[in-house]
Amino acid sequence: MSFVEFINVRKTYQMGSVEVHAVDGMDFVIERGEFVVIVGPSGAGKTTVLNMLGGMDAPTSGTIMLDGQKVSALGERELTQYRRHDIGFVFQFYNLVQNLTALENVELASQICANPLPADEVLAQVGLSDRMDNFPSQLSGGEQQRVAIARALAKNPKLLLCDEPTGALDYVTGKQILKLLQDTCRETGHTVAIVTHNSAFTQIADRVIEVREGKASRVLTNAHPADALTVEW
Amino acid sequence: MRSAFVKDILRSIRGSLGRFLAIMGIVALGCGFYAGLQMCGPDMRADADAFYDGANLWDIRLISTLGFGDEDVERVRAVEGVEHLMPSLTCDAMARLGTEQVAVRISSLDVDAAEASHDDGLYAVASDDENYLNRPRLVEGRWPSAKGECVISADVPRDDFGIGDTIELLYGTTELDDLLAIDELEVVGTVTSANYPYTGSFGSTTLGSGMIDQYLFVAPSSLAEDAPYTEIYLTVEGASEELSESKAYEEVVNATKNRLEDLQGEFSAARQAELKADAQEQLDEKWDEYYDEKAKVDKELADAWAELTDAAEQIADGERELADGEAQYQDGLAQYETERRNAYKKLADAEAEIDANQATLDEKKKEWQKGADQLREGRAAYKKGEDELLGQLGAKSASEAREMLEGSAQQLDDGISQIEEGIAQIEAAPAQAQAAIDQLTAAIAEAQAAIETCDEGIAVADETIASLQEQLAQIPAKEELETAKAQLTGAIAAIETLGEEATSEQLAQLEQLKGQLAQVEGALEGRAQLEEGIAQAKAGKQQAEAGKAQAEAGLAQAQAGLEQAQVALAQAQQAQEQLPGLRTQLDELKAQRAQVDEGLAGLDELADAKRTLDESQAELDAGKAQLDDGQAKLDAGRKTLAASRRTAESELAKAKAQLDDAAAELADARGQLADAREQYADGLAEYDDGKAEAEEEFSDALDQLNDAQREIDEIELPDVYALDRTQSEGAATYHADAGRIDSIADVFPFIFFLVAALVALTTMTRMVDDDRVLIGTYKALGYGTSTIASKYLVYAGVAGVAGATIGILALSQVLPFIVTSAYSIIYTIPLHPFPLPVSPGIALMSGGLGVGVTLLATWGAVVSSLREVPATLMLPRAPVAGKRILLERVRPIWQRLSFTWKVTCRNLFRYKRRFLMTVIGISGCAALLLVGFGLHDSIWDIIDRQYGPIIHFDTTIGLDDNAIELDVRRAIDYLESTGEVGGIVRVQNENMQAGAAGTDETIRVNTVIPRDASAMAEVITFKNRVSGKPIELTDDSVVITEKLALKYGLSVGDAITLFDQDDVGNAVGDGHELTVTGVAENYVGNVVYVGRDAWRQVDASTPVFSTVYATTTPDAAIRKGITDELHDMEGVSTVIFSDETINMYRNMLSVVDMIVVVLIVSAAALAYIVLYNLTNINIGERIREIASLKVLGFTRTEVQAYIFREIGILAVMGDALGMVLGIFLERFVVTTAEVDYVMFGRSIHPPSFFYAFALTLVFTGLVILSLRHKLDRVDMVESLKSID
Repeated sequence: MSFVEFINVRKTYQMGSVEVHAVDGMDFVIERGEFVVIVGPSGAGKTTVLNMLGGMDAPTSGTIMLDGQKVSALGERELTQYRRHDIGFVFQFYNLVQNLTALENVELASQICANPLPADEVLAQVGLSDRMDNFPSQLSGGEQQRVAIARALAKNPKLLLCDEPTGALDYVTGKQILKLLQDTCRETGHTVAIVTHNSAFTQIADRVIEVREGKASRVLTNAHPADALTVEW
Repeated sequence: MRSAFVKDILRSIRGSLGRFLAIMGIVALGCGFYAGLQMCGPDMRADADAFYDGANLWDIRLISTLGFGDEDVERVRAVEGVEHLMPSLTCDAMARLGTEQVAVRISSLDVDAAEASHDDGLYAVASDDENYLNRPRLVEGRWPSAKGECVISADVPRDDFGIGDTIELLYGTTELDDLLAIDELEVVGTVTSANYPYTGSFGSTTLGSGMIDQYLFVAPSSLAEDAPYTEIYLTVEGASEELSESKAYEEVVNATKNRLEDLQGEFSAARQAELKADAQEQLDEKWDEYYDEKAKVDKELADAWAELTDAAEQIADGERELADGEAQYQDGLAQYETERRNAYKKLADAEAEIDANQATLDEKKKEWQKGADQLREGRAAYKKGEDELLGQLGAKSASEAREMLEGSAQQLDDGISQIEEGIAQIEAAPAQAQAAIDQLTAAIAEAQAAIETCDEGIAVADETIASLQEQLAQIPAKEELETAKAQLTGAIAAIETLGEEATSEQLAQLEQLKGQLAQVEGALEGRAQLEEGIAQAKAGKQQAEAGKAQAEAGLAQAQAGLEQAQVALAQAQQAQEQLPGLRTQLDELKAQRAQVDEGLAGLDELADAKRTLDESQAELDAGKAQLDDGQAKLDAGRKTLAASRRTAESELAKAKAQLDDAAAELADARGQLADAREQYADGLAEYDDGKAEAEEEFSDALDQLNDAQREIDEIELPDVYALDRTQSEGAATYHADAGRIDSIADVFPFIFFLVAALVALTTMTRMVDDDRVLIGTYKALGYGTSTIASKYLVYAGVAGVAGATIGILALSQVLPFIVTSAYSIIYTIPLHPFPLPVSPGIALMSGGLGVGVTLLATWGAVVSSLREVPATLMLPRAPVAGKRILLERVRPIWQRLSFTWKVTCRNLFRYKRRFLMTVIGISGCAALLLVGFGLHDSIWDIIDRQYGPIIHFDTTIGLDDNAIELDVRRAIDYLESTGEVGGIVRVQNENMQAGAAGTDETIRVNTVIPRDASAMAEVITFKNRVSGKPIELTDDSVVITEKLALKYGLSVGDAITLFDQDDVGNAVGDGHELTVTGVAENYVGNVVYVGRDAWRQVDASTPVFSTVYATTTPDAAIRKGITDELHDMEGVSTVIFSDETINMYRNMLSVVDMIVVVLIVSAAALAYIVLYNLTNINIGERIREIASLKVLGFTRTEVQAYIFREIGILAVMGDALGMVLGIFLERFVVTTAEVDYVMFGRSIHPPSFFYAFALTLVFTGLVILSLRHKLDRVDMVESLKSID
């Protein structure tokens, strides 16, 4: 059994009288410790996949498994616990709490989960050991995103989900963030899934899941993924 | 294009209906509350005006202390400005209504006009008679058409008294009979009158409790025939067109009032002259009558007197004659008595003399006989004695016996002396012998002792000699010593000659030699001494031996003497045996000698006796001759006396008969005279009675006439008062209450506007922020700043106008309705029917303020965003930077806080505007709530603190002004006897006016003078409210109540002036200044407690102390029994139980309680709107943050806590601030709403703080509850969205 399994997952939204199948029979698997890129154009359903995988939304039908747990069968309350303990989430716009310092933002997450990693260590790991006491507004975008990654990692999640992590960043900073994520995956063994519309990222992934019209149109595995810093777009 | 913009506005309203409604709601509340409260006062005044105009109520009321006549009425009618007028009679009286005694005001009613009038059931009473003023409206029953009928007020209904019952009039301020023809009235109907709009008191009076409890209208037929009008009611031209008591109204009325006041002197003088003239005319007639009658009676009396005088003269003559006869008779009688007494006296004297002489003679005879007897006895005794003596002696005659006796006497004397000598010698001999023996025995003992002493001396000498010789034997012989001495001396000399040359050895030797020489010389000397001692001892021994020999010789001699002496003693003892014999001889001789002496004495006695006897015999013989002569003379005297007695007695009997005849004649004459005198006395008494009666009658008549004359002369210039409605208690109280509502209306809405502005500002700021990109887009599209701004201004304006319209329309009906219906509890002024008038001025101002404030807030929110260039507007507004806060510096606390708490704390200070808005908004609501509860406390404290903590008695028994000490005592005795009444204290109550330096205004006060100042503490607690210190009340104290002190700014040591008051409650006179000694806590009424000594400064006479305070059982039945009993007592005028007063106040105060409810409800609404709106915005601004937290796995509870904790803290802070604001606001409202007559409680009770605080939190909780679902609905997907 794989670490993550999507088996015939469907998600249907009712928009007035029209039924929209955002995800329409999606099947894929992710293995433990893999660096995965889920790629697809806007409207292909990748955000829905992210939502369902992150426990923010439940599928209309089908099965989602994570580390042997049947996520698709969890109720509201259990989903909260799932998000709390099993998932680390990195937002496109970082979504840091403006009123907490970098360190406190990390602690905010680690405070609520079962086996947190020390916040300062995680911050040092993302290269922010000297900015720990700064407020988000005192940090650059890249630094803010690093804080966000640290916040996700500190929870010691089973799965690190990133929603367009470079979307709000400039090219150079974006690459550094990608590099950080890749290194994190390699060095800590965390399973990392990145959702993006940018197909250039596929080069650095262990596994690439291409989403098109609500389905996993293609799943590729890279035997030798490129280093994030070498990626051009 | 234009229409697209308009469409956008419309859509934005539709799209954010919540926001639109929030603005609308807050504006509606603010404007409505302001307009509604502002309209209360005007509505109240308008109601009153309609009521007054409808009843054709007077504008000016004229009162004269001497009343008015018809001429006065015409005089007033002629004054410019007087429109219509109605003279009337009004008087105050104490009356019994069923079981209660109350003060009533009786007024005459124009019954014809009343019956012709018809009312609209609300305000107006229509009548064709325009001079029919103050038209009462008949509520029930009928008008009082007949004499002895009345109508009473329908506004103070009583279950036990009403139509068909009878009112008994007891007494009035003036003599009721002068004004009324009846003293009982039957109630035939009930009315309501615009003249008495205030049911709390229909006016003040000097009777009873000082307040009019009921008013009556009677038909003119019930008035006394000559009763004058006591007042003239009049309306002023043009006054009814103005709002009653408005400025314009006052101006119109005052013009006429001033004219009337100018004419006051004229009215007074005319009235005085008129009254005097009428009275004088009547009196003059009386004077004439008096003089006629007096002349007639005087003549009758004079005739009677002449007759009486004649009779008296006749009686006097008879009396004189009688007296003469009597005198003659008395003289004769006296003469007779004297002669009779003299005759008898002479006879008695002579008889007495004879008797006395006889008695003396008899006595002498007896004495003579006794002497003769004694002589006879003496002779016999003498003979016997002589015979005996001679017999004894054996002699024949006396002389022979004498010779014999004298010879034997000589022989006896010699024998006796011989024997006595012998006896003496024998008795002395043994004693002499014994003495010699004793002497010799002593000498022997002496000698023996001497011998012994000498022996001892010899022994001692021997011993001494022996011992000395022994010592001598031990010393070397004298020669040896001499030789040694010489050798030594030689040796020494040899060495000494060497002098200086002597060696040291030699010198040592010399010393040694010298020592030896000294020893030798000592021995020599000792030898000499010893030898001398031996010699001395030997001489001593010799001496002793000589002594011994001498003693031994003495001893021998003495022993020989002793033997001789012992022999002599034995001889003497033998001689003793002869002594008894000798003594016997001596005794015999002595006895013989005594017999001889006896015999001699007997002989002498006999001789003396013989001589005496012979002398006595001679005397006796002479006495016998004298006695016989005396007896003869006496017998002759007795015979002469008997003859004279007989002659005298016959003469006296003749004289006595003549006198008895004269006495009988006199008795007859006396009887006739007594009859005559009796007749005369009767006649005189009759005359005196008649005269006294007539004089008294005339004197009385004269007094009456003089009194009447004096009264006429003393008719003073009457005081004429012109009063307007401000001096009518009911109208003035209502007007003041309306003014108070105005004051409150000026304060409270301010808070609402402030909060409304805050809400609008916050809401619009949020809206503009939401529309940043849109604004940027409009700008980019080329829309002008004002056009874009207009969108928000129009949005806010529409919301504001809509809110203001709705709020004003609704609350301008609701609030005045609540307030006026609250006041209708105590005022008779009818409620305005719906819809209530909406004052356009107030509505416009209120709406303008509300909309203006909203627009201003909107402009403030928009203007900053519009200044930015489109490019920046297109970008998201930079989030407000996080900041460290002060609390972080307190590490120990900060580190302990969880992150959610840290965020909360930082957020509180991060959004300063939101912070301020929320805190101010909530504090406003909390303050309003506190004011509401605080007002309630203050109001009920009036009763709760007054009755119980301050006033302990619950019963006040008032006696009327004429009560005397006995009446009071009787009432108290009764109270004590019931056993249900305690704590009885007597005081004097005076209704007075009080003023202070620096102001002309006076205020009605109840002056209480305790009879016993120290007892007052039992029924009233005097203490300072703030410090709680008790205030001492003594006979010198002047303690005023707190409200009075506040009004005039008085404190201890300041002066308060007490004035007497006239019938209409104006201060009169110069007043009496007293120094305040204490300011006591008090809530109801203004009271001055004056100690009886201090009171003397006001009134020198001692008061009756005619008011009794007591504590009575709460049992209603017993109370009623006591009340009935007291009312039947002489002088008792009022019996008031505090419960009735308390209930009256409860009624009055429930009015203000209604306003409190309005306040609380409004505050609650405000709190809800503010909190909901602010919280809503708060959530709206933080949707993204909330979504992120959810994604991070925060549970529902954690997310809610994260957001609502902040709201909660803000609410608590605002709440706390609100408590502080509320304290000040409440104080302001309390002082504004207070009336002169009561002081509100000055403190907000702790539970009120709790309620206000807790209610605010409850509203917060409700808001949080209602917004919870909104948090739940926040979609996590929001977190993924870009910031736009």
